[in-house]
Amino acid sequence: MLKWWPLFGIRRHLTEKKAYTSPIRLQSLYGKLFQRSLFIYILDVGSSNALNFEISALESPQYNIHRFGIYFTDSPRHADVLLILGRPTELMLAPMNETLNQMPEPYYVITIDDSMDDLPMSPYPEMRHHVAQLKGIPSPSELLGLLLELPKNKRIAS
Amino acid sequence: MRLLAGVIEIDGKEKLLIIEDGVARLEPVESQAQREEFGCYQLLKKRELHLRRGSVSGPGVFRFRYGPVTAGVREAGCFNLYTFGEKILHAGIDVSWKHRGIEEAMSNKTPQRALALAEAVCSNFAFSHSVAYVRAVENALHSNVDMGVQNWRNILLEAERIYNHLHVITKLASAAAQKVLTSHLSSLFEEALRLNEILTGSRYLMGINQVGGFHHLPSLENMQHAINGYSLIAKRFEQLYVHSVNNANYMDRLHAAGTITADQAIAMGLGGPSLRACGVKDDLNTTISHLIQLPVITQNEGDALARMEVRAEEIMNSCEYIIDHLKISDAWNFNTDEATKSIRENGEGCGIANSPSGAVAYYVVLQDGIIAHARIFTPSYVGMHAAAFSLDEYIFTDFPFIFDSFGVHFSDAAR
Repeated sequence: MLKWWPLFGIRRHLTEKKAYTSPIRLQSLYGKLFQRSLFIYILDVGSSNALNFEISALESPQYNIHRFGIYFTDSPRHADVLLILGRPTELMLAPMNETLNQMPEPYYVITIDDSMDDLPMSPYPEMRHHVAQLKGIPSPSELLGLLLELPKNKRIAS
Repeated sequence: MRLLAGVIEIDGKEKLLIIEDGVARLEPVESQAQREEFGCYQLLKKRELHLRRGSVSGPGVFRFRYGPVTAGVREAGCFNLYTFGEKILHAGIDVSWKHRGIEEAMSNKTPQRALALAEAVCSNFAFSHSVAYVRAVENALHSNVDMGVQNWRNILLEAERIYNHLHVITKLASAAAQKVLTSHLSSLFEEALRLNEILTGSRYLMGINQVGGFHHLPSLENMQHAINGYSLIAKRFEQLYVHSVNNANYMDRLHAAGTITADQAIAMGLGGPSLRACGVKDDLNTTISHLIQLPVITQNEGDALARMEVRAEEIMNSCEYIIDHLKISDAWNFNTDEATKSIRENGEGCGIANSPSGAVAYYVVLQDGIIAHARIFTPSYVGMHAAAFSLDEYIFTDFPFIFDSFGVHFSDAAR
């Protein structure tokens, strides 16, 4: 007899209780715009896909980002933060700018550049509230540490 | 079985990159019959970034453009779907949004520098790309590679297969709103990435491979930890899998979605789990004949469910394979400072690797120790074409199950 799905693994504690920190410093000149929760829109503009996988990993129960009030949205119009993955290909510059136009004020922009210098990628354009520029492939815990720095009141866990 | 992995055309001369009995080799094209042997010849020759161009017209038919900015497809890519509102009449895929010109960037680079570019084509297939690339360079330079290095390459290819397959099945479960299953699978996916880091220092197995050897030895200190980790993944995944296939709601979403026949799969040049799900055994595993042979998992239905089942069984087999070989890996001694040096500096060669979604193939030409030409043939290119083909005549509700079940990526297809 198989268990009912909601009971499957119910005693397994997958969420980790850790203090997440990031070595990345936020550009503080924009101040703290958000109180507690963060809604994030992910935009891939030319990453090598590891960043997409790290976002998937960040959604795993080990990190349980919802306990910190962090959610991924399906539309830039519902987002507080635009998280741009990769440096843009030439074709993705226009969709990226249009996505920026759709962000409701106030908002933050974070870019993660995992591109090699040998590739003909476009530089990031000037973006308002561009609070963090990461290079390479940050781990989910580093990324979570960075996101937890954004709101005024850092949530430890619910 | 003879598979066409790529068509190479340089300076007006055409060559076919053939995989036969798991071995890659180049065949100069001398007759039309050689071209006509393979249904995917034109597809592989054109290497288009706009796959399945075409349109459908009729009462109420319109083009629905899905991407390149949409939460439904995380990567930068675009679907052109012709529909009158429910049924997809024709599907095309535009991967040009993600094109980074990696082949061109490899030219005039040293083999080691170009290796980093190979890993950047599609980072979740980074190890497959690096293995196929270094095998091509080693073949071009006639290098003999230490058996220990070859063994480790095969182990790490299986490690890559495990986390990629887990990712695909997690996406399928998520699309079917199987929240509990998705959460548990997602935790296994993260565990698999952590095991990669324990073994190689990189969650995506990057930076360990090099031409002629390894940059550094996989960590032997944490071997028991890795063995325990893979045992746990296999055990927990098996429980989840058995549970999931007894869930009628989940099975119903996958069953008969995106069905392709064996003949269609062969004609489109499909490989990997998508081909094996049609009941066709490819010979990619014979490239590891010096180790314990992995069983070739097949299914017969050719639908999204069959593709998921092939991947699920491969996860369990790959875990077992890694555990068995890690236990004896301390006997594979090799010196990372003595990566095989070649006295040759000129030559051409090809190499393949059995990636999680089919064969990755590389062709390289070296002149004076520098890459003069490089061609990359990826499983996602033919896989994208097959995914678009199999979307025709299905409804929008089936879209994520069909597309995700092929395990293809825009970055891999666009290069």
